[in-house]
Amino acid sequence: MIRFENVGMRYGMGPEVLRDVSFHLAPGSFHFLTGPSGAGKTSLLKLMFMASRPSRGLITMFGRDIATLPRNDLPDLRRRVGVVFQEFRLLDHLTTYENVALPLKIQGRAESSYRADVRELLAWVGLGERMQARPPTLSGGEKQRAAIARAVVAQPDLLLADEPTGNVDPEMGKRLLRLFMELNRLGTSILIATHDHALVTEARAPELMLKGGRLTVRG
Amino acid sequence: MAEPTQSDIDAAANRHGLRWLLNWLLVGTRSVMPAAGATGISLVLVIAAMCFLASLALGAALSVAHVTTGWTSDLSGSVTIEVKQSNEMTPDEQVRAILYILSGTKGVKSARALTKEDMTALLEPWLGTGNVTDDLPLPHLIDLRIDANAPPDFIALSHAIAQAAPGAVIDTHRQWQAQLLHAARAAEWLAYAVLLVVTATMVAIITFATRAGLSANREVVEVLHLTGARDKFIAAEVQRHFLHLGFRGGLIGLILSVATFLLLGLQSGTASGETSLFMLPVSGLRPGDYPALLCVPVAAALVAVLTARITVMRTLHRLL
Repeated sequence: MIRFENVGMRYGMGPEVLRDVSFHLAPGSFHFLTGPSGAGKTSLLKLMFMASRPSRGLITMFGRDIATLPRNDLPDLRRRVGVVFQEFRLLDHLTTYENVALPLKIQGRAESSYRADVRELLAWVGLGERMQARPPTLSGGEKQRAAIARAVVAQPDLLLADEPTGNVDPEMGKRLLRLFMELNRLGTSILIATHDHALVTEARAPELMLKGGRLTVRG
Repeated sequence: MAEPTQSDIDAAANRHGLRWLLNWLLVGTRSVMPAAGATGISLVLVIAAMCFLASLALGAALSVAHVTTGWTSDLSGSVTIEVKQSNEMTPDEQVRAILYILSGTKGVKSARALTKEDMTALLEPWLGTGNVTDDLPLPHLIDLRIDANAPPDFIALSHAIAQAAPGAVIDTHRQWQAQLLHAARAAEWLAYAVLLVVTATMVAIITFATRAGLSANREVVEVLHLTGARDKFIAAEVQRHFLHLGFRGGLIGLILSVATFLLLGLQSGTASGETSLFMLPVSGLRPGDYPALLCVPVAAALVAVLTARITVMRTLHRLL
């Protein structure tokens, strides 16, 4: 489903932050992306959610070569990818409900068709009482759960999460892991970038390890 | 009474307060673009101020055009005969003789000798009330209204009047008409030039303010883009947002300018009831002119929308 072949990436004229990265994510797979700070995890995720272009190499997303894809076809691919940003990137002027429902609104669905599902999801992540709150009034953990809910609400084919348990307590972290695993069971491919070794140990899933811009696969 | 839940508190926080009311009234647009904040209100106020000035300039141009037309039509149908002292006939005898000739002249619609009271009313605004006394050597005037489409033969009329009344002189106002027309047309061109400058300034400022507003909301555009929104969805949301802001600002400016024109129109300073400003007759806007001012908020909204669309599409094309 997702294939990287000898992908390299640099910012401007600087050194390569990713070098000869090659891996394959099959449909329904579950992987962790680990590595020290500055290893290039976020840069790799940016390539996967198509916010950046590689300097070299081949990236195939859902069987389509990103380099030759017409610009008008990119939104359809992005809708198949749910992203949990490290910095959340919730929209401060929208309520929690509106933030989470945003992917569905963008797809053109009527609110009556998704209202119940969004409320159920918010209740499940523990934000049932904060639906009308705006992000500036949410705690770090609440924002993280809202960001995760937004990423999964449209049941994407691929979920990319950048440090999704960084701001929650261990109990909520396990609960979120169970959510990811349930999504995986239903067919969503999962890639979680994390420093949380307890999460990696609990899930017992393969690791993509980044170090110095180079990637190795373990498990 | 049950304790309010966190959800109740959050919902209440979203509704109450003067700030919320101002935001809803001025900048709420039911778009995914943020409405609240200083940027939105500032944009509305900037557009309102520029539209106020543009409406004033447009109204002034229309008003000057009316005055110009009024002046030229008044003078083109008006002729004055001045009767001075003569050794052969008294002024009253000359006036009677001239009126007899005019009654049989083709092209003369009406002729009236101005009375002493008429002369006093004409001169008092210049000389002051009570200063027009009997010892002032005032000429006798005859006011003619002629058919502008079929005027009388002034050469033949001059001869006939010269024979009947030696002290009479015909003034067709041609010299004054030409000069007045020239001045009025110059004022009209000046008014339209001011309108052009104000309009260009309005376009420039709205363009700048819209770009600034969009730049402040770049994060929203990027999140929508990365979440899979198509360019036309994002552009439509942005356009709707700035269309509402532009039209609201334009409407506020228009209302203020209409109020200004109505206030000016309520002033009166002449015996005829016409409004005047610094002793110059100002006819003001006619009821039929007010709809023309509607083009100002429409233009403001269009400028805001076009600028927003062009800017957001450029931003999106720079993104992958």
